[in-house]
Amino acid sequence: MNRWLGKSFATFVLLPFCLLMAFPFVWMLLTSLREQNTIFNGPIIPRKITGTAYKEAWTSIQFPLHFWNSVWITSVTVIGVLVFATLSGYAFAKLDFPFRNTLFVLLLTTLMMPSTALIIPLYLELKSLGLLDSQGGLLVLYISGSAPFAMFLMRAFFQTLPDELIEAARVDGGSELTIFRRVILPLTRPGIATVVIFQFLSTWNEFLIANTVLRNTDELPLQPVLFTLMGQYSTNWPALTAGLTLSVVPVVIVYVRMQRQFVAGMMLGAVKN
Amino acid sequence: MATALSREDVVRRSGERTPYRFGSPLRRSQRIAGFLFIAPTFVLFLGFVLWPILYTAYLSLTSWGGFGAPRFVQFDNYSRMLHDPVARRALIVTLVLTGVTTAILTFLGLVTAVLVNVIWSKVGVVVRTILFVPGIVSFVVSAVLWKLIYDPNIGTLNRLLGAIGLDSLQHPWLADHKTVLPAIVVVTVWGGLGFNMLIYFAGLQSIDPNLYEAAAMDGANTVQQFRHITVPSLRIVTGLIVSLGLLNGFKAFDVIFVMTGGGPNHGSEVLGTYLYSLAFGSTSGSIPQLGYASAFSVVTMVLCTLAVIAQLWLTRRADR
Repeated sequence: MNRWLGKSFATFVLLPFCLLMAFPFVWMLLTSLREQNTIFNGPIIPRKITGTAYKEAWTSIQFPLHFWNSVWITSVTVIGVLVFATLSGYAFAKLDFPFRNTLFVLLLTTLMMPSTALIIPLYLELKSLGLLDSQGGLLVLYISGSAPFAMFLMRAFFQTLPDELIEAARVDGGSELTIFRRVILPLTRPGIATVVIFQFLSTWNEFLIANTVLRNTDELPLQPVLFTLMGQYSTNWPALTAGLTLSVVPVVIVYVRMQRQFVAGMMLGAVKN
Repeated sequence: MATALSREDVVRRSGERTPYRFGSPLRRSQRIAGFLFIAPTFVLFLGFVLWPILYTAYLSLTSWGGFGAPRFVQFDNYSRMLHDPVARRALIVTLVLTGVTTAILTFLGLVTAVLVNVIWSKVGVVVRTILFVPGIVSFVVSAVLWKLIYDPNIGTLNRLLGAIGLDSLQHPWLADHKTVLPAIVVVTVWGGLGFNMLIYFAGLQSIDPNLYEAAAMDGANTVQQFRHITVPSLRIVTGLIVSLGLLNGFKAFDVIFVMTGGGPNHGSEVLGTYLYSLAFGSTSGSIPQLGYASAFSVVTMVLCTLAVIAQLWLTRRADR
């Protein structure tokens, strides 16, 4: 009885709250589907639904181009981070080499440095390397900026594997690289899935660095484009919200499909201690 | 993205590995492999993480417009900061926004997690998803979305207020010094709540239910149980959430840059937006002030380091 009361109370509080939280998205969808001339005085729920805003957003800002830029940049970053992070995470978790702990602490202490604070030297560095305005330069920054954190996550996963497994493989005469590839990697699928989804989201959503080091419009991924779109379409809200909606689709799909790994990974990353 | 540093990670010492005889082939191949495996990450780290940190610290002691050689000026940039009203305002706004947002996010995160924990589990899954989705879209998307909601003329907020007869409350939310900061807090809380709720939720699920039963038998009511079991058990989680909130606050940039650009008249200027406009220029033609801007980078890094130290300290205290 008491328990039932608690559940009802929780529902009573949470449902309106959820509506409030979901409202911006619902409103985004509704706006993207209405006609331009009804945004000023039309009813809040549009009477007539139209897809013209999507067509407009798709063609006039070269949406496919920037979408593919985002897909390309995100894919390369995810793969790069994965390779770097699994190798180094494994080494820090399971291999014995001199200065291991010193190097690990050094990597850790700088893990928290935000890109806001590093954007000036990073910009200058790319400039002197001649990598400004190129996706290559952006990729180098993305991978180097994310690899230490992913390494930290992967190390936690590798630590859960028993040492005996590796020792047995060593006795069988496998080289360290073979052991890593054949024995270890297949066992760390969940860890890899976590890094992939984490990295996907943070790279897809990254704005500051992309907006700073890329100026050539053709190279830009979606986020900086959405920002400029806001200036250009300050009154064409249907087109603007249509652009926002399209940019969110991949994120929502990946999240829904990989929700379990994501939540599991977050727990591991966050509540590990 | 930051994560928890457990104490073992920091104080972990070598010597706990299975000992191989020194210099044996097995051990040597491990040593070589170890260095080779970390080499790629480490080279990138040195070049694009460690070097920039040192470089920006150096630049903060210089005066530089981006051409020629930086001129060494010792701590002039830092003393200039103390006399620059915009800098002072940016620092205060950063601290206030961070403090208020972190407090609200921690409190609401706990409350929603507790509610989600008692609700029917099927409903709970839906609620968790709804609360979490604002956190997976980019800051740019949420900032643009909320900018439209806050729009003074045709923004949804003012229209809704008009529709229910509260015209007097209609307001240019982002153009007024008084309302711009609360407006930003709302957006940040909207985006960050799901993450905190989820972490608290996981924390709640790991509490031993026997504790509650024992307490109930001793006659403790729900509020007492919450105060004396739930809150203490979640101390580590709270430490994590608070320090992540502080970190996110100190490095805040995207939402404010997109929604207000630091305006109106520096009203919502934070360290991140101010250093960005100093270095990359909000007005075209002005000479970039890379040295002065770097001083703000250093301040940001110091604040972030303090947030991490705070977390280590909170975790350690909770261990006792």
